[in-house]
Amino acid sequence: MTRLPRILPWTALMTLAVLLPAAAAAPPASVDGSPIDPDAELVVALPDDTTNLDPRIGMGSIRSTYIRQVFESLVDVDRDGKPAPGLARSWKPVNDLTWEFALRRGVSFHDGEPFNADTVLFNLDRMFRRNLERWGVKDVAAGTAFDKVYPFVTRWEKVDDFTVRVHTSEPAANLWDVIGREPLVPRAWTIKNGVEGLNEKPVGTGPWKLVEWKRKDHMTFERHDGYWGTTGFTRRLRLQVIPEAAARIAALRAGQVHVVDAVPPLDAEVLGRTSGIRVVSAVQKLGCRLYLNGRGKDAYESGGRDGAFGDARVRMALNLAVNREAIIAKIFHGLALANASPVATVAYGYAAQPPYAFDPARARALLAEAGVTAARPLTLQLLLPAKHYGQAFDETVAAVVEMLKGVGVQVTVQTVDFGTLLQTLTKGTLPPNGGFAACRTSNNLDADDFVRDWASTTLVNWTPYPPELLGLYQATRRQVDPSKRLAALAELQQKVREWAPVVSLYQEKKAYAHAARVLQFVPTQELNMDFRGVALRR
Amino acid sequence: MRAYLLRRLLHAVFVVWGVVTVVFFLVRLTGDPAALLVDATATREEVARARHALGLDRPLLVQYGDFLRSAPRGDFGLSIRERRPAMRMVLEHFWPATAQLALAAILLAVVVPVPLGVVAATHRNGWLDHLSRLGSLFVQSMPSFWLGLMLILLFAVALGGLLPAYGSGTLRHLILPALTLAAAPLAQNVRLIRAGMLEVLQDDYVRTARAKGLSERGVVYRHALRNAAVPFLTVSGLSLGFMLSGTIVIETVFSWPGLGRLIVQAVPGRDFPVIQAAVFLFGVLFVAVNLVVDVLHGLLDPRARVL
Repeated sequence: MTRLPRILPWTALMTLAVLLPAAAAAPPASVDGSPIDPDAELVVALPDDTTNLDPRIGMGSIRSTYIRQVFESLVDVDRDGKPAPGLARSWKPVNDLTWEFALRRGVSFHDGEPFNADTVLFNLDRMFRRNLERWGVKDVAAGTAFDKVYPFVTRWEKVDDFTVRVHTSEPAANLWDVIGREPLVPRAWTIKNGVEGLNEKPVGTGPWKLVEWKRKDHMTFERHDGYWGTTGFTRRLRLQVIPEAAARIAALRAGQVHVVDAVPPLDAEVLGRTSGIRVVSAVQKLGCRLYLNGRGKDAYESGGRDGAFGDARVRMALNLAVNREAIIAKIFHGLALANASPVATVAYGYAAQPPYAFDPARARALLAEAGVTAARPLTLQLLLPAKHYGQAFDETVAAVVEMLKGVGVQVTVQTVDFGTLLQTLTKGTLPPNGGFAACRTSNNLDADDFVRDWASTTLVNWTPYPPELLGLYQATRRQVDPSKRLAALAELQQKVREWAPVVSLYQEKKAYAHAARVLQFVPTQELNMDFRGVALRR
Repeated sequence: MRAYLLRRLLHAVFVVWGVVTVVFFLVRLTGDPAALLVDATATREEVARARHALGLDRPLLVQYGDFLRSAPRGDFGLSIRERRPAMRMVLEHFWPATAQLALAAILLAVVVPVPLGVVAATHRNGWLDHLSRLGSLFVQSMPSFWLGLMLILLFAVALGGLLPAYGSGTLRHLILPALTLAAAPLAQNVRLIRAGMLEVLQDDYVRTARAKGLSERGVVYRHALRNAAVPFLTVSGLSLGFMLSGTIVIETVFSWPGLGRLIVQAVPGRDFPVIQAAVFLFGVLFVAVNLVVDVLHGLLDPRARVL
């Protein structure tokens, strides 16, 4: 077992950073030399509402933007996408099997309930579904089943009012990320108001207090003046639902909203040339792929046949058949990137991998090598959840299907709604020559969330790791020495690239547009938008 | 008249029951909502547990029996996505948002065509008639979502924010979505009134009225229009269905927080209780309005009462 403590590189920096006084400050009179209006309302147009606000139910991209205005995590993210102290001042492993979180002092929830170690213990109970009867709190259908995904977390304890330790049954290098990125809810308030209260009108420690929620229309927040960090520089924040991209952009051009989320690539180019409007973008963790059935016949409703894509040469051939440069230029107008690593480029532990070349001749040769002939052609029944990930995704899949046909793969596309796709994957009824197009993102900062995809049987894992790669993956998880772990992660990424479990399509760059009078708006690489420090010029 | 009314009422109840029954079984053919509630790591057992919690593992006829017992009380169960009473959610979105929008659009589609259609008919082949016919054709040909976006660009952007691009709550917010929703039925009604008027203006009783020295205005509005209005009335009742389904598109374009958008999200989310409650409400409204139309039709034209 590796000897500890070996503190992650940024931990020391963070500890220093939080020694600085953490006092709430009133908005400044000016930003970047421009006078600001601290009493203004910042209006942000989003494509969708959330159905509820309890972080345990899930932290998908739109939900995340709503939830993270109110709730905070132990680990925050700075404007460069790096981990930063949130409700924890610092975190460190104290031995091979224990992590310690030092909590921020003097923090209160919006209703005045103090944040302390008891809050964290209560949240850990909810995350791992323990002691719920004792608290009288209902279990919820959770986005992340912590007890299943992280079974090595055994117990947690309060060292003092502002120190919590989490114990594991094996070394867990990414525990700071696993535990640290989950938004925390108040203990007493939740026990009193229940999950329904969390979903309807929650209180958190975040920079914004929820004051009104008109479902499917808007959510209005008020600046939390008692916030421990940099708060918003406007009095109010309104997240306005405008489902149609064209209507969102029209509202911006009419001056009726200040910031627009999810600008389509083509519009971004045009808006970028419009006076009084700025377009900004950030690389996201969202990676879109073709998943192929490479499961053994015992791992799905196979009818006795192995998945047709169990041979790595076949999957590599399909990767070499895709012209990603053309897709990124023609469909995304540059607002995407090719990434041959299974890990998002903005995740901790990412190691750049040589891109898959567009080489149809080599693709055909590999297919022939794998026994694909004119008499025994390769067929692919592809499920496409149309209109779920956006128009550019649908166009990309259509283009890729033609590229695959170009190397002799006989592809049939079945358009389904997302629910039907999930149902097929849950039941395990993907046909042996089946595949599906989908995207995955992450609420976490560490590479583990990505490379875990092929470690156990899940909805998205149709090409399980062979024993060698599974061993390598498990080693990355247990390796707590940062430099050794980074090296192991790099080796795993290189091997996964060669093993090619999926046909990698693109990684998203998300575009936002805002009025020129919006100051200091920086798009994050996380799922949520962050309005701390954002101001409106007077 | 009482027997006629009773017959129409029974007919209405049967129609609503038929609609909700068809929808009850149809939505269950679309798939299993349990898969949407669990995370990507869920096992089949967990999906089965979620299905059991929703009561979807019971025999279909048992579920239908429960539905028939509770639906007449307005109890459609809890929304699968939001875990709130489905009918409460539907009513929250229907009133006032969708009701306002639909009423404003109906008003536009019923009132505006009358003078336009009459003027077109009384100026047959004149420039007013040509303009009215061309305009109607043009408006009817446009997809409503496109018309909505064009109106936003014109009134909210090009005219410097004359009207809001999105949202609800004031009369100014209502104008563009109501106009967009009313556009196609309004155009259709103009053509319908024009055609009806052209027909009745040739009838003997109109000629007689003119011969008796009645003013042209009196002939047109008091005698001709009353008879021309019968088919218009029937079609207006039917167009309520168009309006209600049209709100699904219009509410999305104008970010109108109504029932249409709730349905748009409930369908792919397999939120059976919400879909059923919404269809029930739409069905009741549609049948009620058509019942009123039938009664009015019966009053205007006694021959209809025997049908």
